Amino acid sequence: MAHGDWLGLKQELASSRRLVLTLLSFLAPLALWSAVSYLPFVWHPLVHVTVPGDVDYFTDDMEVPYADFNNELAKVKAAGGAVPEGYPVNPVYLPAPHKVARAFYTAFTTEPRLPHEPWLHQSLGHSIRTICWGFFISSLFGVPLGILCGTYRFFSRLQEPFIEFFRYLPAPAFGALCVAILGIDDGPKIAIIFIGTFFQQVLVISNTVRKVDPALIEAAQTLGARGWQLVRRVIIPASIPDVYTDMRILLGWAWTYLIVAEVVGTMSGITFFINQQARYRNFDNVYAAIGMIGIIGFSSDLLLSWIGGLIFPWKRKNRTGKSARSWWPKRPVKITTVEVPVEAGT
Amino acid sequence: MSATSIPIPDYRSLSPDVAARFERIRQRPVILSVKGLLKKFGTNGSARTVFEGVSLDIHRREFICVIGPSGCGKSTFLRIVAGLDECSAGEVLLDGKSVAGPGRDRGMVFQGYTLFPWLTVKRNVMFGLEMQGKNGNSAESEARQWLDMVGLGKFEDSYPHELSGGMKQRVAIARALANEPRILIMDEPFGALDAQTRCQMQSYLLQIWKKVDVTILFITHDLEEAAYLSDRILVMGTNPGRVVEFIDNPIPRPRSPAQFLSAEYLALKMRLEELIHPPVEAEEDRLPMVKLTNAGDDVE
Repeated sequence: MAHGDWLGLKQELASSRRLVLTLLSFLAPLALWSAVSYLPFVWHPLVHVTVPGDVDYFTDDMEVPYADFNNELAKVKAAGGAVPEGYPVNPVYLPAPHKVARAFYTAFTTEPRLPHEPWLHQSLGHSIRTICWGFFISSLFGVPLGILCGTYRFFSRLQEPFIEFFRYLPAPAFGALCVAILGIDDGPKIAIIFIGTFFQQVLVISNTVRKVDPALIEAAQTLGARGWQLVRRVIIPASIPDVYTDMRILLGWAWTYLIVAEVVGTMSGITFFINQQARYRNFDNVYAAIGMIGIIGFSSDLLLSWIGGLIFPWKRKNRTGKSARSWWPKRPVKITTVEVPVEAGT
Repeated sequence: MSATSIPIPDYRSLSPDVAARFERIRQRPVILSVKGLLKKFGTNGSARTVFEGVSLDIHRREFICVIGPSGCGKSTFLRIVAGLDECSAGEVLLDGKSVAGPGRDRGMVFQGYTLFPWLTVKRNVMFGLEMQGKNGNSAESEARQWLDMVGLGKFEDSYPHELSGGMKQRVAIARALANEPRILIMDEPFGALDAQTRCQMQSYLLQIWKKVDVTILFITHDLEEAAYLSDRILVMGTNPGRVVEFIDNPIPRPRSPAQFLSAEYLALKMRLEELIHPPVEAEEDRLPMVKLTNAGDDVE
């Protein structure tokens, strides 16, 4: 049975089952988080003080370790004073899911404490702008160079050994240098994203371009294509869908470099927001901001994948197994038997 | 009924009609002339000869099949004619002019499907025409004509991955022919197809060849395919690769599967079998037969 078994080896699951598993992959960690947050007996190592009672150093809304609270409670009881009250809570760095969920909205509406500090949407915008510039400049040089290296052995031998060496140099190591050269604003941040992306990009793309089926190039040659025509009409269109996929993966890497880059010089963007909120102990906002990076990265990748299916229709193969884009309407395939008059002999 | 009860004629004895046809073919101009072709792989120290001394003349509108055991260099030979490989010595003349490198005067159909997956069927056929610098409209109408000829006019806007293997190869044939090459080189074009589709494709190919002024050089490892399609059969041998025999096909045209039982067909097939699959004589070709079981002893 094709879809009978949840654990069939290498068998595609029915779409309903895939949906269940997808939901479960998000719900299971959420359930664990909820358990830790809402079931006091699971963890809750602190006590949130509501009534200080006669304990000297207890104040309203103070959080003390469980053992300390019990000690003080016992002492006060023995002395016959007013009893402190409180309820068990988790540490401030682990807010409950509903608080983080609310923070996804309230983080945007919270006014910055200092007049020059950016709002969350400004921080996010700043980060996206930085990553776009870094990735754009990298691609502007990296994609053509990658295609050249993949196409001509000459460029491959001339460029790739150095690039191979350079890509082992960690981009953050250039932080101080970038600040010295480009100042403390956005320049060094874009430069670090560029350094982190560019060298990988050239190697990955040249490798993809090299994988173009040589039979396609030979077929084009026997059809009269020459030199630059081969590059423009065969090598580039044959490799561009895979190059596009490479770019999606590289964009994911660029997000990793973003967080490192934003610490360089004056801290900016989403990293600044996260650090500032952590300093104010607004950990719900911290989680929300980290979650937003994930959501932006994941949804932009889904969007790019969907766009990829639109602009490269020949990659949307009607395979036997359903693809992730199986809901996308397929090109109407006209299935007809073609009548070529077959004579008795020729 | 034993085979000897049918009188098998000599494969070299041609009926008067067939002999007259070969006479007419020989009157036609030579399209492709191969002289003393030699191919070696590797450097001088450890060079391996792929084939040597291959010489032949092919006349206009002839259908030549090349057969031979694997390793005889028939694919390499075709690739040299197509300009995709270089020879070590000798030369290839097309219309009397030496050729170097691939060109649109020698169209090629490969065994693997080499349609451009990012182009529709029509744009695939237009590819060669666009390389010649023809403008969009005339290239498009020409491409349509070629697609109609291979019976795939309805599929002009489909992408290659939407077609079956046989249909892909018909588009590949249309794409090669659209350039109006002097010679169409086909490297086991139907090798990846199932037997039924292959039969159909052979019949299509003969019909196409009848309508188009093109000379065909066709590699196959299928003896029946060679016998069914060809005017002449170039049989190659191994160690080193060489031309063993260049056989005039005695089967009259028009061809039909009904001829598979004719005396000429059997004679030709027997000869080809003899050349391609010689009886095992060499000691090293025999498997060491160790007796492992008695189970078969009482069975005759």
